[in-house]
Amino acid sequence: MSTMSLHKIFASVCLAALPAFALIEPETEGMEAVSRDDGTFLVGSPTYAFDRKNGAGGIHSESELWAPEKLRMRLLFNRLSETPSWTPHEASIWLRTGNELGDMIYQDPLYEKDDRPSNRTPILEGGFRSPAFMGLWATARLFQVDHYSDETMRTRNRYVDDSFAWFGENWPMFSTAYGGLGYTGHGLNASVLAGEEYVWVFGESSRWIPIHYSPRVEARADFWDLSLTLAYENAEFQNRKKSESGTRTEWNGSAYYRCGKLCKDGMLWFGAGVQFRTVEDDGKLYTGLEDDVVVWPFAQLRLTPLKDLSLDATFGVNNRDWLLQDSVEYKIAAMPRLGLVVGEKNVAGTRLNPIADTEEYFDGDTISLAADGSMQMHELYVRAEDSLSVFRLGARVAGWIEHGAETFDTTGFVNDRNLVYRHGDVARIDEWIQGLSGEVWLGIDYGEMFSFTALGGYEHIWGPSREFEVSPVEYYAAFEGDWLLNGTFRIAHSLRYRSDARWNLRSSDPKVIKGDWYWDASFEQRFPKYGIFLNGTLLHVLSDDVVQTPNGNYDRLRFVCTVRKTF
Amino acid sequence: MRLVRLLAILLVFAVCSFAAETPAQDSVAKSPAKDSVPQSPSDIAFSHFYVSVEGGEIYPWGDLMDVVENSVYVGLGVRYSYWENFDGIVHFDYTYFKNRMKVVAYPGVHQAMGRLGLDWHGRWIRPVMIGGGFICNWSRADGGEERNFDKPGGTLVDNETEFGYFVRLNVPFLKYERLRVGFDLLWEELWTLPKRSNMLSAGFYAEWRLW
Repeated sequence: MSTMSLHKIFASVCLAALPAFALIEPETEGMEAVSRDDGTFLVGSPTYAFDRKNGAGGIHSESELWAPEKLRMRLLFNRLSETPSWTPHEASIWLRTGNELGDMIYQDPLYEKDDRPSNRTPILEGGFRSPAFMGLWATARLFQVDHYSDETMRTRNRYVDDSFAWFGENWPMFSTAYGGLGYTGHGLNASVLAGEEYVWVFGESSRWIPIHYSPRVEARADFWDLSLTLAYENAEFQNRKKSESGTRTEWNGSAYYRCGKLCKDGMLWFGAGVQFRTVEDDGKLYTGLEDDVVVWPFAQLRLTPLKDLSLDATFGVNNRDWLLQDSVEYKIAAMPRLGLVVGEKNVAGTRLNPIADTEEYFDGDTISLAADGSMQMHELYVRAEDSLSVFRLGARVAGWIEHGAETFDTTGFVNDRNLVYRHGDVARIDEWIQGLSGEVWLGIDYGEMFSFTALGGYEHIWGPSREFEVSPVEYYAAFEGDWLLNGTFRIAHSLRYRSDARWNLRSSDPKVIKGDWYWDASFEQRFPKYGIFLNGTLLHVLSDDVVQTPNGNYDRLRFVCTVRKTF
Repeated sequence: MRLVRLLAILLVFAVCSFAAETPAQDSVAKSPAKDSVPQSPSDIAFSHFYVSVEGGEIYPWGDLMDVVENSVYVGLGVRYSYWENFDGIVHFDYTYFKNRMKVVAYPGVHQAMGRLGLDWHGRWIRPVMIGGGFICNWSRADGGEERNFDKPGGTLVDNETEFGYFVRLNVPFLKYERLRVGFDLLWEELWTLPKRSNMLSAGFYAEWRLW
């Protein structure tokens, strides 16, 4: 073991003795994979991460799977992401800035080119939402995360004809500005936002595809138990290198009735909705949607025949796909204090994300994003949590099997400077994959002042692992919690270790992401009486600078500070 | 020699400072709640508020001495009561460093500095205060050409920003009604690469209590 590793472990043990906090806010909404390691969380860009919780069941990541809760997330190619978020904040004004640490400043003149580190990149965000006047409010937001942009910048910038962002020359992975009006009152919460956005999405070919939304308009309305969403997107595609350009005009949205209070009082809960996308493509595009339209109706049921027994099911179907997610959970009442729960959950369907495009066009090849046949995953789990005084102790054990898991049948690779792209099609693993996982956690809670959780997990998967897009990590340990001093100063920590993960299909040789320690720390002055919050957060203090995804960008130590005044 | 001179000056001011009442002492001692029910932190927060102007000299440290010359800085500050023994501080300073190394031709570098932190004024050290916090520096060369980006000093032709931390000693030594004058000695480390960058600054401030 190297001296550096010993140093890291020693530092980590020392830090673990400190109280820590579970939730360290990342750069922006949807980037939570940055501050999680209770599984496989690999970040290559604010717009692309592999996020799979230990024991989640199946080999897919969470953002690949459609669910009704994700209706208002952004569809980035075939994944659902909260980044870049178009969800209005609470009434407040805020400013956020940060930087990957390691710009040279006055170190610069002391070093020749070969001895200099590569450029570090910042983030910047500003926005407000006004207090309501007669229920009406206004909001505006400008934000971009330049972190995770440097490694691929020189390759990507050849494909676009300007800096492809609202400001700066780091070719950030997204840059968004929007403004709009809203109304809150009389049981109605509605908003209309309009803006312009630059975003790079990651294709199955491993390309970064630049999309310029100009404009993007999104309207939302929530009243009673109904949620409506409608978006108009004029998406411009381009490849400056090949003098190609194209435009996609897209309407998408959803209507969703969720179980309300009256419904929840009954034995049967019911929800239903429909999501749709319709596109009109013109010129050269790099993705395609079969028939230019997808309509996805779905229904949700919850049945509680016994007080301690519940059955949940979400089912969607259309002319191309079907997807079923259901679960059964039983609370064993004989030991109420132990909180013992036995459950079973299933996922089955033809596509994990049935609203995504169906094809990607790359280098003369058409990559099919929809494999023939269907997948099925079944998981059985037992969970228990007991508390004694200020202590919590819990454990979860799960076993799962999956057949027909989505994978990629790679037929060839293409190099583009430092990036590697692939040809092939989305396919299935025609074998059963089995997984066994366990987690234990110990928590200490002392009111709002102090909380600490130590947790660890292990998972072993049997199956043709070289056909997995990602072979998940086997084990992790995390120490999280926070101090809230005098109710006005918060010190939060999260210290984590995860073991190796491996990308199998996006390069000729598998890419191993070595296990590492991560430490995040956040300090916040709070003035609740005045609604003022001053926050400084350090992310990934201990870890090595590595690229965590194929064709991704370096994950680096960075500092983010936020000033927020709520109204 | 420079450090000795600074320490000597600091010692003089430290002695003088005990003749003055610190703003923080003021904020607590004159609080009517002090003699009755202890105030909650959220009541103390912003119960006093001060603005200040500051000027002094900033000294590059270590290798940085070969890069830029010592420089005068000026700035504005805000102080507010936070807890009983802590004040919050926000500072915005500006300086212009003359360039010593002229591989890329520009006469100097503009630098804006933002600081956010806390000053502690525990009863053992009153009226002197010890503080610390985060710093954010923005730098940009006064001229130069972007085509020289890869030459030593070239990155400063574009905007460069870096964060770091600071610790400081705040020695108030004169008080007149709402006005206080003091000495501020500050050590900062920026999280730059290949090495961290350190600077020392020393200056005087005049602080006015608004409420």
